[in-house]
Amino acid sequence: MSSTPSQAELLKNLEDRLGAALKALNIVEDASRLYDIKVAFAGKQGFLSEIMREMGKLPKEEKPQFGKEVNRVKASFEAAYTEREGALKNKELMEKVGREAIDVSLPGPQVQAGAQHPIHLMFDEVIGILGRLGYAVRTGPQIEKDWYNFEALNIPPDHPSRDMQDTFYIDQTHVLRTHTSPIQIHTMLTETPPIRALAPGSVFRKDSDISHSPNFHQIEGLLVDKKVSMADLKGTIAFVLRSLFGSAVKVRFRPSFFPFTEPSAEFDCSCPMCNQKGCRLCKNSGWIEIGGSGLVNPKVFEAVKLDTKIWQGFAFGFGIERMAIIKYGIDDIRLFAENDLRFLRQFNL
Amino acid sequence: MKISLKWLCDHIDLNDYFSKADELAKMLTDAGLEVEAVENKSVQFKHVVVGQILKLERHPNADRLTVCQLDVGDGTPRQIVCGAKNHKEGDKVVVTLPGAVLPGNFEIKKSKIRDVESLGMLASESELGLKKESEGILILPDDAPVGKPFAEYFGLDDVGFEINVTPNRADCLSHLGLARELACLLNRPLKKPDLAAKTSSQVSTKKAVALEVRDTKLCSRYSGRLVEGVKVGPSPDWLRQRLESVGMNSINNIVDVTNFIMMDLGQPLHAFDAAQLKGSKIIVDKAVVGEKFISLDGTELNLNGDELTIRDGERAVCIAGAIGGQNSGVTDATKTVFIESAHFAMDSVRRTARRHGLQTDSSYRFSRGTDASGVVRALDYAAGLIQKVGGGEVAEDHWDLNANPAKKPAIPVSVDYVAQRLGHPVTPADFEQWMKRLGCKVEGSSGKYQVTPPEFRGDLEQEVDFVEEFGRLNGYDHIPENLPVMNYAPLANDKNYGFEQRVSALARQVGFSQCVNFGFTSSKSQAALLGGVEKYKAYGLQMDSEPVRVQNPLNEDLDVMRVSLLPGLLKNLTHNYRHGNNVGRLFETGFVFGRGPEGYVQNGRIAFVAWGQIQGLWNKAQDESSVFFDLKARVQGIFDKLLINTVQWKGAGANPPSLLHPAQTSSIFIEGRDVGFIGCVHPKWLADEKIRVGVAIGEIDLTAISRGQPRTVKFKSVSKFPAVERDLAFVLPKSMAAADVSAEIKKTAGPLLQSIEVFDVFSGGNLPEGHVSVAYKMVFQNATATLGEEELTQLQKLIVGNVEKKLSVKVR
Repeated sequence: MSSTPSQAELLKNLEDRLGAALKALNIVEDASRLYDIKVAFAGKQGFLSEIMREMGKLPKEEKPQFGKEVNRVKASFEAAYTEREGALKNKELMEKVGREAIDVSLPGPQVQAGAQHPIHLMFDEVIGILGRLGYAVRTGPQIEKDWYNFEALNIPPDHPSRDMQDTFYIDQTHVLRTHTSPIQIHTMLTETPPIRALAPGSVFRKDSDISHSPNFHQIEGLLVDKKVSMADLKGTIAFVLRSLFGSAVKVRFRPSFFPFTEPSAEFDCSCPMCNQKGCRLCKNSGWIEIGGSGLVNPKVFEAVKLDTKIWQGFAFGFGIERMAIIKYGIDDIRLFAENDLRFLRQFNL
Repeated sequence: MKISLKWLCDHIDLNDYFSKADELAKMLTDAGLEVEAVENKSVQFKHVVVGQILKLERHPNADRLTVCQLDVGDGTPRQIVCGAKNHKEGDKVVVTLPGAVLPGNFEIKKSKIRDVESLGMLASESELGLKKESEGILILPDDAPVGKPFAEYFGLDDVGFEINVTPNRADCLSHLGLARELACLLNRPLKKPDLAAKTSSQVSTKKAVALEVRDTKLCSRYSGRLVEGVKVGPSPDWLRQRLESVGMNSINNIVDVTNFIMMDLGQPLHAFDAAQLKGSKIIVDKAVVGEKFISLDGTELNLNGDELTIRDGERAVCIAGAIGGQNSGVTDATKTVFIESAHFAMDSVRRTARRHGLQTDSSYRFSRGTDASGVVRALDYAAGLIQKVGGGEVAEDHWDLNANPAKKPAIPVSVDYVAQRLGHPVTPADFEQWMKRLGCKVEGSSGKYQVTPPEFRGDLEQEVDFVEEFGRLNGYDHIPENLPVMNYAPLANDKNYGFEQRVSALARQVGFSQCVNFGFTSSKSQAALLGGVEKYKAYGLQMDSEPVRVQNPLNEDLDVMRVSLLPGLLKNLTHNYRHGNNVGRLFETGFVFGRGPEGYVQNGRIAFVAWGQIQGLWNKAQDESSVFFDLKARVQGIFDKLLINTVQWKGAGANPPSLLHPAQTSSIFIEGRDVGFIGCVHPKWLADEKIRVGVAIGEIDLTAISRGQPRTVKFKSVSKFPAVERDLAFVLPKSMAAADVSAEIKKTAGPLLQSIEVFDVFSGGNLPEGHVSVAYKMVFQNATATLGEEELTQLQKLIVGNVEKKLSVKVR
């Protein structure tokens, strides 16, 4: 500047430049250009710094007044700048978001948990139900001593009741267990009554056709206490079946024979599929055969050296595959052993 | 067992049940004698009657048809159009009237044939289902009574029951037995026919044939009688029909009588040709060791000395209770018959029958137990019937050696006990009534009784047996439902079972689906697949070199117990792959079998198979071995959840099993022991099975990883200070494991190192041949203070120095 400007001139210049800067801020669309405006107006070498240097030339008494004006202008610029900067940033973000559009119909990465085999699904369900009644899971060997599998269960050698179960033999004294009942024997020999035990397991019978597998699964419940009746047995079975098939199902006992129970009963469930109106599952009979049961034969207590004057008991058991067939409508027992994923994935529960 | 309703009527009046056979079936089933099928022929032939052709004329509109007027016995002639040629006026024929449904669901209706009304059909044998093919209609003999239902006329008016008799009810293996049961259920009297033999000969059985029972344990009662001068020949119709009604074939009149009586009274009999009994002797004794015996059906048996035999003076003539000998059976030439009626020990007959495959109707009944008290009655009945159907004279006396005539003891039964066990009230009167109907002798009063079961009920031995008898007769439907009270603490589930359940749940969580395979498998394919068992032992998996064999396998595909879960899982993989499942993750938990110092053992295992790559936008360009890492990551995931923190993957070791890829296999080492392995399947197996995706498998011993389970989480406080990441890459010779470097880093860094992982592996470029660059990402954090830059730089220097020096590798 060639001559010393007056305060009025400086103030006018200040206002004019602020006006121009605000205008520029209003139209700028680019972040770097925005910054250029800031540098030019409020930077170290910018207009405001320059005008502050000019202020030095003003008379002393005018300086405070002018300083206030400069600060006011600076504040208005900065407010406008911040606002514009925010707007531009927002605009930029909106554009970026727009560019990030995805096709939501595309699949994501597979996070599939594996499926449970329906045999185990059914085991878990029954164990859960009877667990609520205090039954604890017990296990035993699959290659079983003849004594546990037969003799202790009141099935002496060469007795006709051995014909009820076609047996695989391992050697003179060992068989592949034909039922889960030997677990009762192990339990009663190692634990003191009262007992509530539950024996799930794999069993073997020399029998193979469209409806029989030579290696299938059973679950069996045993209760030993001081007074045990058929009514207790029926109530317990009813609780299990109602938990599995709904509170409307009914339970029926039919007299039968198992060497290790006396009295013995086979138990049926009213058909949960048709409510006894008649369907293919129940062969129009309204009832479905489920399993076998009865009061523990005193001869079994004698075998495990429990005093028959004190202890009574009941036992019941059924086939797990059959239960799964009824509950899930599986139509071919071979599916249980094929382990086809198209089958298993349906039980991904 | 087949039972005929007509036959039952010999013993009890059931004439009212021909029209409601299903009721009888239900009654038997509800009493524990499960009726599996009812065959009612009279229902099948409803509206089919005997008729007579009164008048026969040509059909006005068809040359080949005739119009007949039929008398069907009700006074109203029926007009029927017939296309047959073999009939004439006056013939007796089978008339099917509207409403009849013939075999093949052929329904007869009133119709018009070429404008002439026809009220039924004249039937041929094939239309009645009597023959497969026949020509013309059936013309009956002149004496056929007009109007009689055809089923009745033809003897088809019977109802057959197929009954599943449980092993305890041997007394029900006959018509008499079932009749007794029905007499009890229906409260009807039994007919008591006089079966005593009418002797007509001066010959004495005892003088003519000597009898000696040497083994009275196995034969407690033996009776016999001669019938002389019989004529062996075909049986009369009634006898043949009876046998046919229970599915038996007629052989000759003598043998038919013995079979008839077995089915009638439940007592098996045997008829010898008396002339063939050498030395005119009958000796009941065990077989001679090594003796040969040819049975009636021509089978040669090698006897081992345990069998009870009926012998003459020289040889075995019959395997007691099972089958007669060819050397002494009744033939057309037989003149004198020695009838045997005896009681043999059930276990002995069963053992012999099973050993020699002699599953006959006789051995079936003896091995379930026969009624010793009925032996002589059956003998008498047989003698009389043989005389009736085969002529001859009945000897004046009979043998009856009874070693064990002891009566059954009375059993104390309390009605309170019966009520308590059934769970519902029982009155003494009801109890007494049912026991008496059963044929028991009941003594005592006011609910305390001495009950003596009838001789034929060998199964009633203890008080609780009468609980069942009363319960089933009174009806199981009376039993109420009650939940027993529990006034003690429940116990925990079996520990191993619980652990297996937990591991299974974790395996499913990390993406494996659960399989269940048979416990037995094929010895051949198991051995071929697994190769030498020793090699699995190095991985911590116990395996017997000789698998446990099944003595009597179903077939050779299931002849040994499994020693590994992998053969089953690989079979599942092959099945899945061939059915279009190109990707899969399967596991199984279960037992494998072997021998231990104290007998057979079963070891819990978990095994895995993973095949194919999980495809999608997210997984691209992976090589086949990546399935190894997929499997490893999932298995590692299971260990993490089990709080097993120090898993070491040690590589295949020397000579890995032939099933596995020798360069893509690793043993799993946990807390000081080998617990199993994972590895890719050998490419040769994949090629043989035509599987074109990578397959990784693994097997782990469950007991080995169950130590200290379930483990409890020990909480470590979470640092409030910032974590800092640092990356380092080292150039390793390919022979070195990346884990060796991480181990060294961990050792040097100490507790400040929170985690370390490999994030890049790279070879080629300007790296020296046979080398690979491995990049590690480390996270450092101090629990008590912010980590200074200085401290971190020092630590990093130390790490690089240690790794370079100790492992002779270079940082990159």
